[in-house]
Amino acid sequence: MVKSASELVTDIGGLVSLPEMYLHINRIVEDPNCTTADIAKAVSKDPSFTLRLLKIANSALYSFPSAIDTVSKAVSIIGTSQIRNLALSMSAARSFAGLPNELVSMQNFWRHSLLCALVARHLAKEARGCDPDALFTAGLLHDIGELVLFNRLPELSKEALLLVLDSMEALSVHEAEQQLMGLDHSDVGGELARQWKLPPLLEECIAHHHRIEEAKRYPRETALIHIANIVAQMAELDSLSLGDVPAINPLAWEITGLDEASLEPAVREAQAEVAEIEKLFLDI
Amino acid sequence: MPIPTESSIPPLKPALPGFEHVKRSWNNKLECYAARIMPGEYYVTKHDEGVCTTLGSCISACIRDRVRGIGGMNHFMLPNTDASEADAWKAASLSASTRYGNYAMEHLINEILRNGGERKNLEVKIFGGGRILQNMTDVGDRNISFVRDYLKIEGLHVISEDVGEIYPRMVVYYPVTGKALVKRLRSLHNNIIADQETSYIDSIKEKPVGGEIELF
Repeated sequence: MVKSASELVTDIGGLVSLPEMYLHINRIVEDPNCTTADIAKAVSKDPSFTLRLLKIANSALYSFPSAIDTVSKAVSIIGTSQIRNLALSMSAARSFAGLPNELVSMQNFWRHSLLCALVARHLAKEARGCDPDALFTAGLLHDIGELVLFNRLPELSKEALLLVLDSMEALSVHEAEQQLMGLDHSDVGGELARQWKLPPLLEECIAHHHRIEEAKRYPRETALIHIANIVAQMAELDSLSLGDVPAINPLAWEITGLDEASLEPAVREAQAEVAEIEKLFLDI
Repeated sequence: MPIPTESSIPPLKPALPGFEHVKRSWNNKLECYAARIMPGEYYVTKHDEGVCTTLGSCISACIRDRVRGIGGMNHFMLPNTDASEADAWKAASLSASTRYGNYAMEHLINEILRNGGERKNLEVKIFGGGRILQNMTDVGDRNISFVRDYLKIEGLHVISEDVGEIYPRMVVYYPVTGKALVKRLRSLHNNIIADQETSYIDSIKEKPVGGEIELF
C-alpha cells in the first residue's frame, strides 16, 4: 500500500526542516511593524547568508548600478518580502541535503531547479502582474517533492523513471508516478509546502505546475512555472525547439499572456546566468 | 492527437527468427510498434516498425539495406580496460575489449545480410557515446572511436550521426525508411541509464564471448 502525500511528508520530518534563519526572518517579515533595520539585524546574525545576500544584490540578478556594500542597503534594494524568498531559496539546497537519493545527483537536480528559477524570473518580467523574485523561488522549489519521493519511495520512483524510458517518453515522469503510486511529486511537494506553511503562492506553484487548471489562488504564477519548467529543460538540453521537450499546456499561454517569442531570450539568459547563480545558491 | 482505440491498433507482425524475445509494444506517441532494445541486445526487421533504445555512453549503430528496407539497430559498449593491464598487455587487452564491439557490429550486419540485405546497399547511422557521468570521461569517446574505425575498415559509410557531448539520448530508428529520431534526455535519467549500462558491462565480463564469429 502506497503512503499518502501527507504521510510521506510527515516521515521526513526528522530528516529535513526549514532552517532557523528562514523561520526567524519569516516571523519578522510577517510582523506589520517590522522595519528594514529589524530585517537587516536578523540577516546579519547569519554570516553565511549575509555574505551571499550581498553577492546576490551585486549580481546580474539585480544589476544595480553602484556597489551594495551593507546589509541594510541590500535589504532596501531587494525588498523585505524578497529577503524572505531569498532566505528560503538559499537554504533549500542545504536543507534538502538531508534527503539523499540514488536516482539523481543533487547537482543535476538543483541545476534543473535553478534553470527553472532563472527562466521563471525572466518570464515574470514579461508576463502581466507577476513578481519576478517570488517566481524565482517558486521555480527553485517546484520539484522539491521529487526529493521526498526519491528518498522515501526509491523503488517505485526508479520504476517510474524506467517506465518513462520504456515508453520512449510517451509517458512523462509525473504520469508514470501517478500510475505506480497514485500520487506524483507535485502532490508531495504541495503537501510539504502546506506543512511547512510556505507562502501560498509557492504552495500553489509547487502543487499544480503539472495540472495548472487546479490552481485557484495563483493561476498566473502557476501557469508561468509550468512554462518555466519546460523551458528549463530546453536550456538544459541546449535546444530552442519545443519539439525536444514535453508539451506546454495551451492554457498556460492564455493565462500568462506569454508567447513562444519569449522563450529564446529566456533560454539564453538562464544559460548565461546559471553558473554564477549556482555558486550563490547551491554551494552548501 | 487522437489516442488510437484498441481496434485501430494493427496486429503485431511476427519478428524475424531469433528476435522473438525482444520486447515490442505499440507506442501511441510514435503511432507504430517499437522494439525496445537494452544494452547488449540488437534487433533486425523487415516490417514497418521502429527499433528504439536509450543511450548513455553506449553506442547504437543503425544499419539497413536502403533498397530492400531490411535493417536494425544494436546497442553496445566496450568494457573498460584495466589501466595496469592495458600498460602491460596493451594489444591483447585492447583486442579483448574491442571483441565485444566487433561482436555487436558483426551480428547486426550478418543478420541483415542473412535476411536478404546486400552489403553494397548498406547505409549506417550512429548514435550515443555521451559523457553522462563525470567519472566516465573517456568511455563514450572510446566507443565512438571504436565504431568509426570499425565502419571505416568495413568500408561502410556513415550517412548521419549524433554522438558525444554530455547528454543521454533516446533513439528511434525505422529500418524500412531509414528515418531516425534522436532526442536528448534530461540529466534526471543519467543514473538509471548508467546503471543499465553498468549491469550490462558486468554481465559481459562474467560471460566472455567466444572467439569465433560467423562471417558472411
